[in-house]
Formats: sequence, C-alpha cells, structure tokens
Amino acid sequence: MKTLDRKLRRDLRGALGRILAILSIIAIGVAGYVEMRSCYNNLSSAKDRYYAQCRMADFSVEVKKAPLSDLAAIARMPDVVELRPRIVFFATVDLEGEPELLNAQVLSLPDERKAAVNDIVLKRGSYFSASRDNEVIVSDAFARQHRLGPGQWIHLIMNNRRQELFIVGTAISSEFVYLVGPGAITPDPKHFGVFYLKQRYAEEVFNFEGAANQVVVRVSPEAQEHVDGLMRRVETLLADYGVMSTTARKNQASNRFISEEIEGLNTFSRIMPTIFLVVAALVLNVLMTRMAEQQRTVIGTLKAIGYGDGQLFWHFIKFGLFIGVIGGVVGSILGYFLAGWLTGIYTKFYEFPDLSNRLYPGLMLEGLAISVTCAVGGTIYGARSVLKLNPASAMRPKPPAQGKQIFIERVAWLWRQLGSGWRTVLRGLFRNRFRTVAGMTAAALGTAILVTGLMMRESMDYLIEFQFNRIQRSDIELHFKDERGIDALSEAKNLPGVDHAEPILEVVCTFTNGPYRRRGAVTGLLRGARLTIPRDETGAPVRLAPVGLTMTRMLADILHLRVGDEVTIRPIRGERRDLVAPISAITDTFLGLSVYADFHYLNSLVGEEYAVSGVQLATDKSPSVQRALHKELKDLPAIQAVASRAHMIQNLNETVIDTQKTFIGVLIAFAGIIFFGSVLNNSLISLAERQREVATFRVLGYTPWQIGGLFFRETAVVNAAGTLLGLPLGYVLSLGITEAYNNELFRIAVHTPPRLWAITLALAVAFTIIAHGFVQWAILKMDWLDALKVKE
Amino acid sequence: MSTATSTHSAATTLRLKDVGKTYQMGEVAVEVLRGINLEVKEAELLVMVGPSGSGKSTILNIIGGMDSPSVGRVWYRDEEITADDNRALTRYRRDKVGFVFQFYNLVPNLTAKENVMVATEIVRNPLDVDEVLDMVGLGERKDHFPSQMSGGEQQRVAIARALATNPELVLCDEPTGALDFETGKRVLRLLVDVNNNLGKTVLIITHNTAIAPIAHRVLHLRSGEIVEVEVNATRAAPEEVVW
Repeated sequence: MKTLDRKLRRDLRGALGRILAILSIIAIGVAGYVEMRSCYNNLSSAKDRYYAQCRMADFSVEVKKAPLSDLAAIARMPDVVELRPRIVFFATVDLEGEPELLNAQVLSLPDERKAAVNDIVLKRGSYFSASRDNEVIVSDAFARQHRLGPGQWIHLIMNNRRQELFIVGTAISSEFVYLVGPGAITPDPKHFGVFYLKQRYAEEVFNFEGAANQVVVRVSPEAQEHVDGLMRRVETLLADYGVMSTTARKNQASNRFISEEIEGLNTFSRIMPTIFLVVAALVLNVLMTRMAEQQRTVIGTLKAIGYGDGQLFWHFIKFGLFIGVIGGVVGSILGYFLAGWLTGIYTKFYEFPDLSNRLYPGLMLEGLAISVTCAVGGTIYGARSVLKLNPASAMRPKPPAQGKQIFIERVAWLWRQLGSGWRTVLRGLFRNRFRTVAGMTAAALGTAILVTGLMMRESMDYLIEFQFNRIQRSDIELHFKDERGIDALSEAKNLPGVDHAEPILEVVCTFTNGPYRRRGAVTGLLRGARLTIPRDETGAPVRLAPVGLTMTRMLADILHLRVGDEVTIRPIRGERRDLVAPISAITDTFLGLSVYADFHYLNSLVGEEYAVSGVQLATDKSPSVQRALHKELKDLPAIQAVASRAHMIQNLNETVIDTQKTFIGVLIAFAGIIFFGSVLNNSLISLAERQREVATFRVLGYTPWQIGGLFFRETAVVNAAGTLLGLPLGYVLSLGITEAYNNELFRIAVHTPPRLWAITLALAVAFTIIAHGFVQWAILKMDWLDALKVKE
Repeated sequence: MSTATSTHSAATTLRLKDVGKTYQMGEVAVEVLRGINLEVKEAELLVMVGPSGSGKSTILNIIGGMDSPSVGRVWYRDEEITADDNRALTRYRRDKVGFVFQFYNLVPNLTAKENVMVATEIVRNPLDVDEVLDMVGLGERKDHFPSQMSGGEQQRVAIARALATNPELVLCDEPTGALDFETGKRVLRLLVDVNNNLGKTVLIITHNTAIAPIAHRVLHLRSGEIVEVEVNATRAAPEEVVW
C-alpha cells in the first residue's frame, strides 16, 4: 500500500489549509474536553484526598451549650465512627495598622496534636505547644494577606474582651476549602480569617468549662446514605441542651459551594466540547464529500485496476484518521496545559493542600478516541457516496445537479427582482443543501458560544448592580454579638460620618413545610426601609406586608411554598418553639436565600418589642470620615461582624469578574475559530469546485472583487441565517449553563440587554468578513487561465 | 440478435451471451445494449467502432467487470463473471484485466512510476515496473508527475500501468482519442506490440474507423447492437494508418 499512502500524504499536503482549519476545531474540542475533565478530576480528587486527610465531618450539630460528657454519648450511637465536640464563635480582629475591624471565626482544637474530626493541615510553624495557653493557629490565607506568621502577636475581641494571642502556626482545613465570611459570597481573606485556639483556652475565654457548642461527627460508610435520620436522633438526644441546628455535609457551606462548582464543571465539560466536535465532524464531512467527488475518476480508475472497496475505503479513512489522531494528540496536550491554567484559577478561590494539575492518560485516550471517532465518522459519511459507486459510474463525470426549481423561484415576483448573481447564489445554496446546513450549524453554534460568553459577563454586571445598588444599599452593616434594644440604633446614628441608620433583626431559624426543611434566617426590616429594598424579578420594589414573610424564590421553591401558604419557623433563640407565618410575597435575589419581614411583625412573632441584631448604615465616603468611623467601631466590643458593601463589590470584581473576563476571552476566541474554520472551509471548497466558473467569469470581464462578491454573498447568506438561529440557541444554552451553575449561595440570571445582541452580531460579521478575506485572497492569486484548462 | 464469432483458432478468452443493458434515467428507461453475442479468442486484437452512444464503452465496462449487464451472461474462459459478487469482480479486474482510458486516468499526485506501482502493488506476479516503463519509452521520465508530461506520455504511463500487472486482457477505451496523429500512432504501435509480442488479448474501442485495419477483427456497433463484423485477412501496421 506504499504508493497509495504516498498519494494520501500528497492529498493531505494539498488540502493543508482546509485541514488546519478542521484540525483547530477538533483540537479545541478535545482540548476543552481534556481541560475541563482534567480539572474536574483534579478538583474532585483533591477534595476527596483533603476530606480524608482532615477526617471531614459528615454532619455537625450546633447547640447553645452542652457538657462534653453528654456530647460524648453520641459516640456510642450505632454508625457513629468518630466525633469531636468543639467551641465555635464569631469574633473580630483588631489588627495593628489596619484601620478596620476584621471578622473572625474562632474554633477550638485539641490542646495536643492528635487525630481529630475536621482537623487542620499546617502550612507554617507548628501545632500548639505546652508553653502558653493563649496560642493561636491562623488560617493561612489571612496570615498571608496580613503578613502574619509564627512568633507574632495578634489581638482578637472575643466574648467582649480583647485578648492577646501568640501565633504558633498557619493552617488550612477541609471545612474551609471555600472560605467565606458571614454575609459574603466570595473568599475575602483580607477581611475574614479563621482562628484555632486550644480547647482548654477556648473554654476559659467563652466561659465554657467542660462544655462545647458544636459537635462534628463522622459516620460509617454504610450510614452515609441516611445521615439525615442519624441527625434527627442526635437532635432528640441533645434536645435538653437546645439544638440550634444540624448541618449535614451536603449543606455545609464550603462543601456545598465546591461540590456545586465541580458539578457545574462536569456539565460544562460535556456541553462545550460537544459543540466543537459536532462542528468539526460537519466541516470534515463537507471537506471529505468534496474530496471524494474531486477524486471520483481516481477512485473509479483504482477500482478498475483492481482495488477493492475495502482498500479504498481504508485509504480515505486514513485521511480522517490522520486528522483525528493529530487533532486528538494536539488537543490532549493543549488540554493538559489549559487544565493547568484552569486549575490555577481555581486555586484563587479554593484552598487545598495539593490542588495540582495531573496527567490523566485515560482521559487523553478518551479525547483521542472522541477525536478519531468524529473525524473518521465525518470522513466515512462524506466519502461513502462516491466509494459505493461501481467503477464505470465513478469514472463518468458526475451527473449535473438536478435542475429543479428551488422553492423561492415559485415566488415569481421575488425571483424577478433578483439579479443573476443572487440567483446563482441561492440555487447553489439549495443544491448543496448539506453544506449549507453544515455552514449554518457552525455559524449558529459559534454564535451560541458568543452569546453565552457575553451573557455571563452581562449577567455578572447586572448581578452586582441589582444586588448592591438596588437591594443592598447600605455602606456598612454591623452585626451585634447579642440582640440589643432601640439604644443600639441611636448609638449607631451617632457614629462619625453616619448619614442614615436602620435597624435590622435577624432571626436564624429552621423553615419547615411538611417534609421540606431548610435552615436560614428571617431579616426584619422597617417598612419603607431605604437601605435594603426587596425586589421582584422585574426589579420593582416589593413592599413588606404588615404580616407575613417575603421569601426569595429559590427558597420558596425548595420548600414548595407559594404566596398565601404558611411556613413553620423554629428560631434558634429564645424558647425555640415553632411559629407559623404566611408567605406574603416572593422576591428575586441573586445571592443567598434571603427572607424578609416587617421589623415589628418579626419582633412580635419572636416575642420581642424592639430587638435589634444589627444596624445598616449609609455613610460619608470620604477617607478621613471612614477612618474615624472604623476607629470608633474598633472600640465597640458588642460588634460581632462588620460587612462593607465596597469590600464585597471590590472582592467580587477582583475574583469572580477578573476570572470571568479571562473565560469570556477564551470563549470568544473559540467562537471565532468555529466561525473561521467553517467559513474558510466552505468557501475554499466552493472555490475549488467552481474554478472553471471563476475563470469563465474572468473571461466575461468580471474583476476578482466582483467574483469575490459572489462568493461573499453565499457566505453571508449562510452565516447570517446561522447567526440568527444562533441567537435564540445561545439564549437557551445560557439558560442551561446558568441552571447548571446556579446554587443557593449564588445565582446568575440570564441577562441580555440589546448591547449583547449588537456585540454578538458585530463579532459574527467581523469573523465572517475576516474569513472571507482569505477567500478573496485566493481568488486574487488564482491562475484563471490555467483553471480554464482544468478538466475535472 | 447481434452475433460475432471469431474465426481465430485459439482458445476462447471471452464469451458474451445475449447481453443487454438498460439504464433507468428518472422515469425513462434507456436501452444502451441489446442482444450482444460475442466470442473473443486468446491473443486476438479486436477493435470495436461506432459513434457516441452506440454502446461500445458499456460493452468494454461489462467485459472489464466494471459494470454488470441488465440481462445476459459473460464468461471469462470458464468462469462466468456475471455470477461474480463484488469481491470476485475486484479480483478479476486486478488479476486478469488491464485498462487504458481515453483521458489516461492517472492519479495526479503520483509520479509516472508511482502510478504504475499503485497497480503492481496489489497483484501477485507483476512485471518489473522499470522495465515496463522502459518498454513504453518512459525510462527517463518516470519521476515526473502527470502534469509535467504530454498527453502521449501520459497515455504511455497508462499503458505501462495496464501491462505491469501482467493481465491477459488489455481493454482500451479510445486510447488515441485525446492524442494528436503522430502520438496516437506511437500508442497504437505499443498496443500492437503488446498483442504480437506478449500475446495479450487486446480490445480497443474507438470511433475512429481509420484504426480498424490493425485489428484481427473489427466490430461495428450502432444503437446498442453489433451491426457488422469485419475480419482483416491482412493486418495493417499502425504506421500505415492515416486519419
């Protein structure tokens, strides 16, 4: 077969430009697949290893305060493998040289190093020593942000007292892979840190001698499936100590976020590469159909001299195989490096001890197999019609295409308006129906990718605008350690630079509706509040009803509630008895699962008159006033947490938005390649087929630009139709992708302002024109006199 | 019924019995061959002449196993090729038949030598490719691509390709149709040598009646039927032919 292989090699070289176009589409499809699947594997295996290493709890139970001995009794329950009672509190950090009060979560750890549920992984320094009680291990990201390290001192305000602590080490833990502070949605290690104290010392600071307020539990592998039942039993067992909440691992904030991200990646890794591979197969199919047509006589001759169908089939398949293998190999290698890049981006959000990019030979083989299947599939489909001809018919020139009227011709008045140029273009498009459909499909999918990328960008901008300019409008939100009275409001109003202050009452509770349960909180707002304005999906303000709850749509869906239904709430405060409240309205928010109620209604519901858990402030933003305000806040021991809107927005911009910009850039490049590859291929094929026609036009006196114009009309019609189809397709794809990524913490609404469609169309036009540039160039340099002599 | 039985005394190489071919063109059935009966002897040089559409190419395609008749039977020696399946027909074309086409049908991106090799590589007892190229006078031009050769040279490559597999039957479809007079005569000389010196059975179809005198027998076709059979008592040399 040596000589036929030589022919193959020369065929490949002859079609180099077109093959490169297809190769780039296939390689990107495979690269996307390998990239996202690798990243998926990297993340999920890093998570599994990390969870095992830290003995990640399967659930936790939060109580007001319970004796260690009673908590230890849980260990005797069947299915419980291991548990650890610990002390958990929010606190604030007063950092020297830092004008603002920073938020902290304080957790206790065994005094001496031993295997423990929800253990830590030390990054720097060492575990606690015997030399001091007030030693602390700081979350590594916070330490890095503030250049803190072992040997330094730090001050935390815990239980209303300012405590001096000695840093012995920095660490990370599997329960804080995605480390977000109270009220935040993105990790903000500058303003939030986790601090681990010795168990004995924590007991002393929080007046918890011999007691704890949380127990973290690991269960046997067989019990993983029915953790809920086990949690209910533990709840009953600890009922006397005031169970505030139970949290299964699946609802643990960090785990939930990372699991959903991994799941989203899983979905995404199947959608995007599929688009590319479908386009590649279509384009390859068109190329192979053309190639086989062009070699009709050669095929006939080879058959005549005794080559069998199988041998010739194999000859053509090798062509596809070559493209498939090269595309697969290049794509896999590219995918590996892209996975490294993507994994690197994830390390910005997630803290793992060893999240690194690994090589998955199995995955690369899969990529190769997909690439080869798609390339060979496209080839077989394209070449088969010619290959199955008998040698005598193969050697006869192709019968002229059926000269039937196309349907537009039946619309006589329209057809009469068209010049011969347009008539040729339209007839050509209808006669090469498959090629037209393939070109339109590529344009539609390219457009869909563009729309999706741009939509993500628009939606993030919209999210920030909606959430932080229209719903949450306070500059600073203060949360008190304990509920306070009306005095807290006047106190806040008197802080420097405060223009306006509104009280809030946040009641953490469990919502129950029949079998549906979810932990959450109700925030009481003054009716007519200016600093938090609940809104519906159109953005219109939703006025709080004097009675009832205004619930976020997502939570209402989870709990299967509609306006007018009643929901049971059990607050984690006071007497913790079940209360019933009606749902008065549904709102739309992009962050969290907010529930609002009238401030006074909520107060009376929980049996209070004017309880205030926090205050929202509108402040003067000049730096000097801000400095004075934060200085004053530092001296208020009653404050548990401070949330600043500016920080949240800045943080979102620095993490999510920047990452998105990169992603979108890549998506646009990908869409460009699809457009490019497809337009270039179709036009070059059409040009090759019609060399004689081009030459004839030249003889008739057409300029190369006029001829280019005829080709451009064809390209333009196909791409315009494809692009228009791609717009709704992109919208649907966007819906699917946001559906895959949306979670309880964070949701993206498909937001498509007119500008998005305009940019998409402009890009589609630009890609089409640039790709056509190559075709025009080919027409300009074509030796048309030679083409006249060409015998097909 | 059109019948042409050879007067040649050698063994029968080919036999066609009541062969007909009908093409379905949309709703119309076009009968291009009807009732063809023909015997071809070993080492015979047979020329079939007739105008376009007389069915001569179709007969050649059927004899060469490239197309099958709608009715009738065809034997190559004792083997009925009309009973063959696709695979057997491929084997028949590969081992027994050499084709020469009007437009040479060379693979454009293979050199002269490679175009011959593409045929020899799939047969069991091929001739030496270089020797065959020397024989057709292309020893010096064997590394040229078809686009670098004249029509006559290309046709000689095609003949080399047909001969190199050492077939028993050489089928030529208008071998001089695309060539000028002098070159055409050179190609005919080659075919006559193949017939005389190598003892191959050669079938030439053409609408150029001027070349008929070089054959042992001449068949005239019209509208899908053999209308006349001429036997040349003495054959002319290709060099004597004029058109």
